[in-house]
Amino acid sequence: MAQVGTAAAAAPGGGPAVRAAGPLSDILDGQGVYSDTVVRYFALAAVVWGVVGMLVGVIIAAQLTWPQLNFGIPFLSYGRLRPLHTNAVIFAFGGCALMATSFHVVQRTCQTRLFAPGLAMFTFVGWQLVIVAAAITLPLGMTQGKEYAELEWPIDLLITVVWVSYAIVFFGTIGRRKVRHIYVANWFFGAFIIAVALLHVVNSAATPASLWKSYSAYAGVQDAMIQWWYGHNAVGFFLTAGFLGMMYYYIPKQAERPVYSYRLSIVHFWSLIFIYMWAGPHHLHYTALPDWAQSIGMVFSLVLLAPSWGGMINGIMTLSGAWHKLRDDPILKFLIVSLSFYGMSTFEGPMMSIKTVNALSHYTDWTIGHVHSGALGWVGFITMGSLYYLIPRMYGRTQMYSMKAIETHFWIATIGVVLYIAAMWIAGVMQGLMWRAVNPDGTLVYTFVESVKATFPYYVVRLAGGLLYFSGMLIMAWNVVMTVRAGKAVDAPIPAVKLAHA
Amino acid sequence: MESLYLLIPLSALLVLVILGVFGWAVHQGQFEDVDAEGERILTADSHLLDTGQGPPERAQQESDIRSSEGAVKWHK
Amino acid sequence: MLANEASEVAWVTPAASAVQAATAAPGLKVVDDPIEQSAFTRWVSGPAGQKLGESSFQLSGLVCAACGGIIEAALYRLPGVSSAQVHISSDRATVRWDPAQTQVSALIEAVRRAGYQAVPDAAAPARAMRKAEHRQALWRLFVAGLCGMQVMMMATPSYVAGPGDLAPDLRQLLNWGGWVLSLPVMVFSAGPFFKGAWRSLRLRRIGMDVPVSLGLLITFVASTGATFDPAGIWGHEVYFDSLTMFVTFLLGSRYLEMRARHDAAQELEASLARLPEVAWRVNADGSLEALSVQRLRVGDLVRVPLGQAFPADGCIEQGQTRADESLLSGESLPVPKQPGDLGIAGSVNLGAPVLLRVQQVGADTRFEAIVSMMRSAMSQRPAAARLADRWAPPFLWAVLLLAAGGAAVWSVIDPSKALWVAVAVLIVTCPCALSLAAPATLVATARGLARRGVVLQRLDALEPLAHAQQFFFDKTGTLTADRMQMRALHLSAAGRSLWGDEQSALQAAASLAAWSTHPLSQALVQAAKERVQAAKERVQAAKDAAAEPPHPAAEAAPELPVWQQVQEHSAQGLSAIDAQGREWRLGRAAWVGGAAVAEDSGQDAQLHFGPQSAPSAPSASSGGEIWASFELEEVLRPGAAQTLHQLLAEGAAVSVLTGDTLQRAQALTTALQDANQAASQTTSAEAAQSQPTIAVLATATPDQKLQAVKAAQANGQRVVMVGDGINDAPVLAQADVSLAMGQGALVSRSQADAVISSNRLDDLLRARASARKAMRIVRQNFIWAGSYNAVCIPLALVGWLPPWAAGLGMALSSLVVIGNALRAAR
Repeated sequence: MAQVGTAAAAAPGGGPAVRAAGPLSDILDGQGVYSDTVVRYFALAAVVWGVVGMLVGVIIAAQLTWPQLNFGIPFLSYGRLRPLHTNAVIFAFGGCALMATSFHVVQRTCQTRLFAPGLAMFTFVGWQLVIVAAAITLPLGMTQGKEYAELEWPIDLLITVVWVSYAIVFFGTIGRRKVRHIYVANWFFGAFIIAVALLHVVNSAATPASLWKSYSAYAGVQDAMIQWWYGHNAVGFFLTAGFLGMMYYYIPKQAERPVYSYRLSIVHFWSLIFIYMWAGPHHLHYTALPDWAQSIGMVFSLVLLAPSWGGMINGIMTLSGAWHKLRDDPILKFLIVSLSFYGMSTFEGPMMSIKTVNALSHYTDWTIGHVHSGALGWVGFITMGSLYYLIPRMYGRTQMYSMKAIETHFWIATIGVVLYIAAMWIAGVMQGLMWRAVNPDGTLVYTFVESVKATFPYYVVRLAGGLLYFSGMLIMAWNVVMTVRAGKAVDAPIPAVKLAHA
Repeated sequence: MESLYLLIPLSALLVLVILGVFGWAVHQGQFEDVDAEGERILTADSHLLDTGQGPPERAQQESDIRSSEGAVKWHK
Repeated sequence: MLANEASEVAWVTPAASAVQAATAAPGLKVVDDPIEQSAFTRWVSGPAGQKLGESSFQLSGLVCAACGGIIEAALYRLPGVSSAQVHISSDRATVRWDPAQTQVSALIEAVRRAGYQAVPDAAAPARAMRKAEHRQALWRLFVAGLCGMQVMMMATPSYVAGPGDLAPDLRQLLNWGGWVLSLPVMVFSAGPFFKGAWRSLRLRRIGMDVPVSLGLLITFVASTGATFDPAGIWGHEVYFDSLTMFVTFLLGSRYLEMRARHDAAQELEASLARLPEVAWRVNADGSLEALSVQRLRVGDLVRVPLGQAFPADGCIEQGQTRADESLLSGESLPVPKQPGDLGIAGSVNLGAPVLLRVQQVGADTRFEAIVSMMRSAMSQRPAAARLADRWAPPFLWAVLLLAAGGAAVWSVIDPSKALWVAVAVLIVTCPCALSLAAPATLVATARGLARRGVVLQRLDALEPLAHAQQFFFDKTGTLTADRMQMRALHLSAAGRSLWGDEQSALQAAASLAAWSTHPLSQALVQAAKERVQAAKERVQAAKDAAAEPPHPAAEAAPELPVWQQVQEHSAQGLSAIDAQGREWRLGRAAWVGGAAVAEDSGQDAQLHFGPQSAPSAPSASSGGEIWASFELEEVLRPGAAQTLHQLLAEGAAVSVLTGDTLQRAQALTTALQDANQAASQTTSAEAAQSQPTIAVLATATPDQKLQAVKAAQANGQRVVMVGDGINDAPVLAQADVSLAMGQGALVSRSQADAVISSNRLDDLLRARASARKAMRIVRQNFIWAGSYNAVCIPLALVGWLPPWAAGLGMALSSLVVIGNALRAAR
């Protein structure tokens, strides 16, 4: 059965011996050690799916630029690949990263091993099944047609089951904690888990018609309201709260300094919780949604600016007094720059939710630019920084195989992001202006296809940016492989309270 | 706007749940003496590979200072 | 037991270390006495059902976050410690320990060994109460805030939707949502207002909570009606958002006030943390037992070690000593004590250990009395607040009548507005500003002062302190520090030939003086030390500056005589035999023998030093010569000169009251004025012209001092008395404001309105400035509260103030008052 590695090295400082990890040793014989196997698997999976998801992204960017690349093949068509891209980067890449880091952080901050490591392994396997199922069904055109919730009902059910097991493991671990205080990162992770469960269950309510076809429980503008209540909160809780949890742990750890104001982080958390729920309608300006509903969305999106920036400042100021570390540490570069993009996106978002601004930006590529500054800049960078911290330590090392590669990755990726969002801003504003240009007699100045043509060069630049970002991801993948090969998985012991005569 | 018939009661329920969680946290003492908590993640297990910040000698020094600190036992 | 005095004294090592005997390891055991423990320990049951103690300690020496971990680790190493938690922000530790395996004294020792200090935290119960109060307040505030935000979101569509945009059933739904989320706020968060209103109504009075509660109830009931019966009499406007926001803001301002109050209490309690007082009882078998002062009984025989205060009133049974009773009698020189004399609780034993038969035990409640006094000081309502309380009921009645009247009038003009006008009037008035204005400010002032070293024990003292123009100062221990210094040194011819210069004479005399704790001896020792230090610095500077090496003689340390058979003779001085077998004496002129070298200026503070020609009985004064005379004087307390100068410059009358001789008193005032001149660089002629003089009342008995104060008060003046405490107890009580210096024994500080714990007299000026600022702020607050009400009530009556604005206004008004009050802490 499981063989616990016999090569056990004494830890510096005379703690209990660190032992090499045998297959599933921390699950099957996990007394006194953290359960990190699932953390390892999720972390590696995140890298893999990152490559895959970004590759699909590059492909569809190319298809937008040169539609010939659709090749007339249904399962390679843009319409089907786009949701594959979004699901892969958000749920596969982002999701695995969140699961890896949440399992890691909750154990370390509670100083106890995972609750039900077997269930954690089930979570891993189930989640990979979801991803693979998505990768198969989406190109085959099986979709519910709801953004970020395209997966059909059987997969939705699987997601629910996996999510419940995820919640059990996470909250069970907190219940078992040896430290009374629940570190702030865990609050963010916990809120993310619960919110996503609620959102998923409500939004994915559907009546199955056949194995791979179902109809939403809601219709028309009602469905739109619920969809964007889901959609925005998915962004808010999946892509923000969850990754803020990451941020509040890995930045202090990498910078070796505590969070700038721990009190502020608590206030940050609770104020975000208050407000996020109602910002959804800003996706539906000037639609059939009643005016007043749109207005609420606008007002509260603006209100959301304050807590978001509070969190950003808190994270960045953690480096206060140690800015010089940024010079030499590329991982810190990833982590801190991610926060600047976070700040930028959480400023841009509320601006775009103002009706007047939205009148220009809605349906244009500016929205895409906004999404990607948040996704590439905030989510991508914080994940990369956190994984660069986490992965070596999962393999008995203190740093990645090549720091230079990380540095290179950082610069390539940053240039990529900047190219991407600059191109999309210009394209977006241009499209908006072109579409609203009217002649004195009231006719439109430009036809739609003229705006498409004008957008072409920006699509090329965006593709270039995306390619750069993708290559950065490839560098990361290589670095990870080399690190894993050079290292050895270990079972890390949990520090015990030293009682003289316990 | 029938969807609001779902969303509003849902958010009311959510508010009550959030109140419950916050109440539990306050009475558990989660918000007391928080200034030290930010530091705790940096010191807790410095003698393990997991943190491994910087050269090993430094980790050794840290662990010498804090090796017997350990976790605070918390009684239910 | 007590060996004969000679060997006892010979055993005494140089007196620098003669203090703190009580805190050595055996004395520490007193913390294990249950009677002391009850102050800082409570008993809980552990996981296995065993009884565990949970004790709170006040720590010191923590400089970083890691220190907390080190202390926790040190405590965990002890057997029987099941949990140890250090709260760095408040320098406290909470430890759970098993009495079967360890003791509190072991816990404190462990912390000490780790390099820190720990004392029992007797303020723990009060702190626990405050913590519970804080939690509850935070919880209420959060509920109100969260629900308020969500209710506001539900209410926003009604504000932003154009007419007809919002379908009626949707509006219903939103109103329903607002109602549901207002329930927790009404039922829970607003609880204190309803409870307060109910309490005052039961007492048949109108308290401040009454209009607030009425307003809340009416708003809620009317909005509920509008929600569930929109076509009915309640109309269809709902104001859940105003309701919840109003409760939130009001709770917010009360929370801030509570924080200010708690912070003040914490500051004061921190200054009280110390080990319990220890007494050493002599048992029947002759053994010594350390026990809590609280356990002393009349008839007990206690040993009072050197440097400790007498733990009780009693009769000295064995031993001769000197007691420092300056705190009690004003005498600046120690009082000799023989067997049969009375030892007074609180006086300090300076000479030699003695045995005391306890006759009266009154010291046990000293600590508790001070704590309870301070607590009551914090909770008592100062005069300004009592004034506001008297005005509040008529004011509130007026408000209720206006609300009812307004509703009645409007029900004729436009019935739909009647209810809301009434609500607006009820809510907008802010009587709480009137009631909060004074206490919040005074508490904040007390806190600010405590941070800077003046501990206010009675809030009411601030007002007279701000306005007083007559200041009385005690001399000894107030204007003077509790030590003396050497002013001049005279050598006889023989002395000069032996020692060569003053420096060596001083060193020789100081080497003998070091054996005594007498203030005069200590002054000599200090003077010698300072001169050695100065000489060293001169030599070093010369070395640095000069090229050639200095004269070797200048570097050589003077050879100090070695003394044997050192004896202290009560009221006379020290005698000892030097290496050559010659007896030397240091002390009173007559006792040392021969004619005084310098003219006796009539001051007692002189030490004479000289050899005895033949071995003689201690009391005989034959054959001795004085070879050196040292003149000593009292040291001015730092800041004394500036303080008096400043007070005089501000036009206040300054007087010195003392039991001491006129000469000494006048010498002091001269010294003060000289110091002023030096500071302001005026000539003595100018100074004599422009400067008002300091009045002096010397050789005054406590009763005469009391008369002086009463006379000033009869003239209509407010009197501030600055002294040491118990000796002037009636005087301090008579004065409008009394301040005590901080270095006195605890008992002496309990009588005063304020304690200058920084021991700097110029903090009196700071206290005065703070008091004035506080009075200004209180006045501002009252003016604000008055004008706010005067403006807003008419507005509400006229119907120009919708309830949401009324709620906002009320809350903001409270916040303004609290915010302004907090300025006083700076």
